Amino acid sequence: MKNNNKDIKINVHHVTRVEGHGNIVVNVTNGKIEKCEWQVPESPRFFEAMIRGRHYSEVARVVSRICGICSVGHTLASVKASEAALGIKVTPQTAKLRSLIKHAENFDSHIVHVLFLAAPDLLGAPSVFPLVPTHGETVKRALRLKRFGHEWGSIIGGRTTHPTRIVPGGFTELPTKQELETLRKRFDTEVLPDVTAILELVMALREKFPKFDRPTEYIAAHDEKEYGMYDGVIQSTMFDSNGKETKQTYDVERYRDCTNEYIVPQSTAKYAKNKADSYMVGALARFNNNHRQLRPEARALAEKLGLKAPCYNPYLNSVAQVVEAVHSAYEGVRLIDELLRDGIKEEKLVAPTKFGTGSGLTEVPRGILFHHYSYDKDGICTGGDCIIPTNQNHANIQRDFEALVPKMLADGRSEKEMELHLEMLVRAYDPCISCSTHYLDVQFKK
Amino acid sequence: MKSRYLVGIGNYSMGDDGIGLRIAEHIAQAKLNSDFDVIEIGNHGLDLLSYLNEDVEKMLWVDCVPTGRAPGETIFFAPEDVESVKKLSGSEGVSPTTHEGDMLQILNLARSLGQHIPKIRVMGIEPEIVAPQMVLSKTLEARFPELVNEAIRQIRDESW
Repeated sequence: MKNNNKDIKINVHHVTRVEGHGNIVVNVTNGKIEKCEWQVPESPRFFEAMIRGRHYSEVARVVSRICGICSVGHTLASVKASEAALGIKVTPQTAKLRSLIKHAENFDSHIVHVLFLAAPDLLGAPSVFPLVPTHGETVKRALRLKRFGHEWGSIIGGRTTHPTRIVPGGFTELPTKQELETLRKRFDTEVLPDVTAILELVMALREKFPKFDRPTEYIAAHDEKEYGMYDGVIQSTMFDSNGKETKQTYDVERYRDCTNEYIVPQSTAKYAKNKADSYMVGALARFNNNHRQLRPEARALAEKLGLKAPCYNPYLNSVAQVVEAVHSAYEGVRLIDELLRDGIKEEKLVAPTKFGTGSGLTEVPRGILFHHYSYDKDGICTGGDCIIPTNQNHANIQRDFEALVPKMLADGRSEKEMELHLEMLVRAYDPCISCSTHYLDVQFKK
Repeated sequence: MKSRYLVGIGNYSMGDDGIGLRIAEHIAQAKLNSDFDVIEIGNHGLDLLSYLNEDVEKMLWVDCVPTGRAPGETIFFAPEDVESVKKLSGSEGVSPTTHEGDMLQILNLARSLGQHIPKIRVMGIEPEIVAPQMVLSKTLEARFPELVNEAIRQIRDESW
């Protein structure tokens, strides 16, 4: 039955299983859409103001607090921006170690998102908890992989959350040969068997992702040498109706030319747009931009999962995350093998050669991230700018809503189905909006 | 020898909710932890699961716990002594997102999966302000040194 004359009222306050707070509001009266909004009521946190007056050696530590999930990415974008401003060129070993920890973060975050936050929708469960009796072994494998990602990052960065060793000019402390050898062995003995087993579940679920195509602009880091993750230029890719690509690249210094942040009444977070009136960042955007550079193992998996560029279905961002998790695992193996082959060498931090302005980018699990700083002659920060991926995606989520709601009405979806599909859509973007509290709220038993 | 962990829990961006994290960070930076390890559990609540194993003797969780006491006052208890009444987003009340944390829920997940649970003591600190701000309240800031000392004393306490 069609919903041509139906009344629909969806008001999801704080979508669950996303990082932070976002609301879904849809009002339909007599089949007419009166309101259809993705609202983000987050509070500003003023990190850009907090770094003013701080020495360049302190800035990365402060901004890594922007996010506990992507703190490696914020640290890397920060030190890269500072290094650009200070005329620092890091050594190949530093770049390799940074790339290695970047893959650790990507692996860790994608495992959590796909298996703990997105998979329950596909299995018809409200969260991972009811899945313990029915899918206990899979949950255990997922947790082992998550734990491995955490420990992988800790070995390189000192700790995964808010890493301590990554500073402008290099690393304050290096992983030992023994640590890298142990880590390398665990890829073979633990990670690859668990990943293989979990992929069977993902294969079984692949048909359950909703069908919804909406072509948009896809922006990601692009690196001539490898699948853009740690480094590269900014690349925008759009596809015509025949799937033919149009690409444009921008140097990182021009990040404002393609982010074009603006304000909308329904959201306290800024929106962004470039050539189209919205664009997408994240795993699917990276896949659409750089799929030819995936590791062969990840490319083969994408084929098996039916993920093919150009992919216009935002729900399949979770599938792209699975493909990227496998890519990151194999890239981790490659990078560790190269580091062990070349030997880890103690290196002095590279010193500044100037004090000015610079920009840095890196890919974090949710998309491309930009940091930009200015320093005075004493190395004190005089201004900063951070553009996070989730904010770049807000406009695209809104445009998806505007296309999806009429489609669901035409398909005769019930209010409950519509609500679930809109929530799933938001979750597919894996948004990282703001932080909630972590305090314990308890009552004593006696 | 088995490990002892001082676990700082919280969110820097929410005023006194970050007290546990700040205490842990201070202890680690000042290298006051020669006989125990310090970890921070901010947004990655699931990371706790990495530390629940047979190699761990005990954990002290340092966290913000509002119970109606005067701001800065402490309360000590074991997770088994309490039940969570925290309202998480979603009508189901179950939301193990990496940002929205309830460590008791994570602990229950570990139990249901058969993970080893070491001895855990919670050092709960009464907040004054839990709201978006990147600094502690003046009250907790003033009591910060004594809270750091108390946390160290608790993890070194051999009576538990």
